[in-house]
Amino acid sequence: MREVAVVSFAQSPCVPADREHDMAEMVQPVIRQALDAAGLGRDDVDFFASGSHDFYEGRTFSYIESLDAVGAWPPISESHVEMDAAWALAEAWTWLQLGEGDVALVYGIGRGSLAADLDQVLPAQLDPYLLAPLRPHRDALAGLQASAMVDAGLTSERQLAEVVARCLAAAIANPAAQRSGRVSVDDLLARPYVASPLRADDVAPPGDAAAVIVLAAGPAARRAAGRPAWVRGLDHRMETHYPGVRDLTGAGSARMAAARAAELAGFAAAEAQVAELHTEYSHQEPLLVTALGLAGAAVNPSGGPLAGRPATATGLVRIGEAARRIMNGEAERAVAHATNGPALQHNLVCLLAADPA
Amino acid sequence: MTLPEPVSTMAGPLRMDYTYVAGAGRSVFLRGLAERRVLARRCPGCGQVYVPAPELCSRCLRPVGPPFELDGRGVVSTFCVVNFPFPGQVHEPPYVVAHIRLDGADTRLMHLVREVAPDRVHIGLRVEPVWVPDEELAASATSIRHYRPEGPADA
Repeated sequence: MREVAVVSFAQSPCVPADREHDMAEMVQPVIRQALDAAGLGRDDVDFFASGSHDFYEGRTFSYIESLDAVGAWPPISESHVEMDAAWALAEAWTWLQLGEGDVALVYGIGRGSLAADLDQVLPAQLDPYLLAPLRPHRDALAGLQASAMVDAGLTSERQLAEVVARCLAAAIANPAAQRSGRVSVDDLLARPYVASPLRADDVAPPGDAAAVIVLAAGPAARRAAGRPAWVRGLDHRMETHYPGVRDLTGAGSARMAAARAAELAGFAAAEAQVAELHTEYSHQEPLLVTALGLAGAAVNPSGGPLAGRPATATGLVRIGEAARRIMNGEAERAVAHATNGPALQHNLVCLLAADPA
Repeated sequence: MTLPEPVSTMAGPLRMDYTYVAGAGRSVFLRGLAERRVLARRCPGCGQVYVPAPELCSRCLRPVGPPFELDGRGVVSTFCVVNFPFPGQVHEPPYVVAHIRLDGADTRLMHLVREVAPDRVHIGLRVEPVWVPDEELAASATSIRHYRPEGPADA
């Protein structure tokens, strides 16, 4: 395996609705910030990979607009995933393994605010015969998952409120957070349900932001960062389409991705001091802590998605936040998790370390 | 064995409403059209004059300069004649879709060329904008109803 590291991370603040900027305008300042921090210019980038989703944009091939922010002329080598940009990072990491270049720039643009009502849009990701016609609320599948966990004794409503309170307090120190503050567990428990046992604060707030990660291989990584965050293991797995077939309380695909990533990395998520998890709902934190086998890691010290969920940039931000804690010397080992699909259907696990293999 | 009656339709209505964000760059151009003005912007890096202009030069990745007005006239740089009827068509075919290089611009504006027989349109034809009446002006590409062959300069 080629040694590849995160050498830079930047994001724009998560906002409920950006009504000023198009995709290129959103991401271009963030790209500049990320490249400047690494001492790199656009011409140093050998490959660009991005993630966004047309369902959030309401038009086809919407991401093409964002290419104006990376300079589409003369033609560049680039790719795009129609999903969270964490998967664009997976593609860029794989591309660097081929040895065709040394520097890749990954960007995610997430716009959760353009759909007037996400309940109109999100059924489109469900089975069109068996699920979409039922028009479950967008949080209903997560509610099923949370309810099953509470029933199995894997969590409690109080524990969920504790997760929310801890994340919102942690987010006070995160300038990119959309939501933060000190709130008491009892106050949270007094609020009404959205999809029981989930309350509004248990649901990550959708919004808009862009995020950028620069990956570099070998010596190029050492030149670009004083303390690169080496990607030591990365894997992703997906579960079956029909949620009724899955064990919603287990996140089997997250477990398998973590095991494979650990095999590649030579260490497991249990050894991480920091974990950034793509928790779109509070109950997914205890679920993932168990599935990944975390042992003592600080979970979502940025506040996590409960402090801001910019759609398809959310998972990439997790990798960036985990890497940042290594780059700034706070951690030696970190784990990042990203997800796509309802109720943790598709999961990606990335293990990062201060030292190369 | 007999097959069951095929199920030919299944109701799965999906209606999706979106807020579109034109962006800062496009908005400058569109708001100009609402005032009967064609606005161009120049990249301070490479000098390219864009119409319509984005906020960032896609070659230099720099913000483009302040808007300035062009008279809207230009020359057909390429065109095609649409002969094909399709659902949702607004104009009766045949009609001409053209790229127009406006005087003073380096990029090409796409629009319709009308008030001329399609077989009289050619690359190099000078054209001028035909605006909608004041009460129909809006922040929209359709504030210019179409282009037509240029009349005498004093017309």
